[in-house]
Amino acid sequence: MPEFEPITGRYITIDIAGEWHRIFIEEAGRGLPLFCLHTAGNDSRQFRHLMNDGAITGRFRVIAFDMPYHGRSTPPDRWWLKKFRLTTESYIAIIRAVWLALGLERPTLLGCSMGGAIVLELAARYQDELAGIVGLESSAYAPGRYNDFLHHPAIHGGELCASYTYGLNSPYSPEVNRRENWWYYAQSGPGVYQGDVYFYSVDWDAREDVKKIDTARCKVALLTGEYDYSCTPAMTEAVAAAIPGSRYRLMKGMGHFPMIENYPGFRPYLLDALDHIAPQPM
Amino acid sequence: MNDYPGASWLARYREQVNGDPELDVIGEWFNATFTLTFGERRYAVTIAKGKIADIVASPRLDGRAAFGFAAPVEVWKKFLSPDPPPLYHDFFAMLMRVPEFRLEGDSLVAMQNARALHRLMNIMRETGMPDA
Repeated sequence: MPEFEPITGRYITIDIAGEWHRIFIEEAGRGLPLFCLHTAGNDSRQFRHLMNDGAITGRFRVIAFDMPYHGRSTPPDRWWLKKFRLTTESYIAIIRAVWLALGLERPTLLGCSMGGAIVLELAARYQDELAGIVGLESSAYAPGRYNDFLHHPAIHGGELCASYTYGLNSPYSPEVNRRENWWYYAQSGPGVYQGDVYFYSVDWDAREDVKKIDTARCKVALLTGEYDYSCTPAMTEAVAAAIPGSRYRLMKGMGHFPMIENYPGFRPYLLDALDHIAPQPM
Repeated sequence: MNDYPGASWLARYREQVNGDPELDVIGEWFNATFTLTFGERRYAVTIAKGKIADIVASPRLDGRAAFGFAAPVEVWKKFLSPDPPPLYHDFFAMLMRVPEFRLEGDSLVAMQNARALHRLMNIMRETGMPDA
């Protein structure tokens, strides 16, 4: 038999805010649901190392999906007649629709970058339906990433978006992994990264909403890389300070994409964060 | 200090760029002159098909350049360090977070060449620290 990885990918077609979407979902493992959200302009392949880690998949059912327009998920009908713009509300509607369609009970949400941002709002709104959140590179307010060149007819969008995000990796992460993430970015459809950054840097401001998170009901673990210049450690420290009982750890020598740029370096922090949310019996 | 990064470093940089196998793959359409300004010292770097064709110190007024990067020497020293501090480890990081590091001129030309330009800037660190 060939040596298959333990990841299974499938498609579902679901109604999201009145539109039908064909969504790609991949998963591995059994146990508590760990629902993973990829970064802007990328897709669920970023979680491939996590889904191949027996220490995680022995305890958690790890699930990740490609956002509409991203990866292997198709845009909705008549996508050519509207500009793709993710907003806080549309992002929540997408995640909530997939979450309910899969019937995930008290999942732990794990998101990175824009995913690390939106898990804060999801925790504020749905804290009684969650075990907790793991926010990677989480900020409550992150202006400064949006620009017109990210989707411009005189510029190769794939190469710009991939190069624009490459330095968000730590210079100490293995080059092969940083380059893999570059490739995923380069594969993004025209304007998709920009549409995501519209959410991240224009629409997003959860500085008040994060104060509603009650860590007695929904646990919060925050991890940010030292070399992240989009969501700097100081930005996550501000989130942690606004959520009493949250747990924040700085990841030394890490950048903005811990799960894909340097999984071995990220792993101890991740296991510690998951133990915080779902303590293992002694 | 006044000579930073110095003629010998620039020569090494040129050699490093022109021998780079990645630029052989991605550099074909990078044809532009841009400037690098280290404090008071300004150089015009002419790129032809992803190779450095010429580096002119203190270009005259007829030395045209599409765009350039300028910063105080202290900022360049951090960028060129083998252990660059966070925010100084990448030119896009500096453009977002280090106000003293500036992109001058026509940013469209710079971003049209983003992939090869990014490689070219990263080779600066791979060249090693200037002696100055």
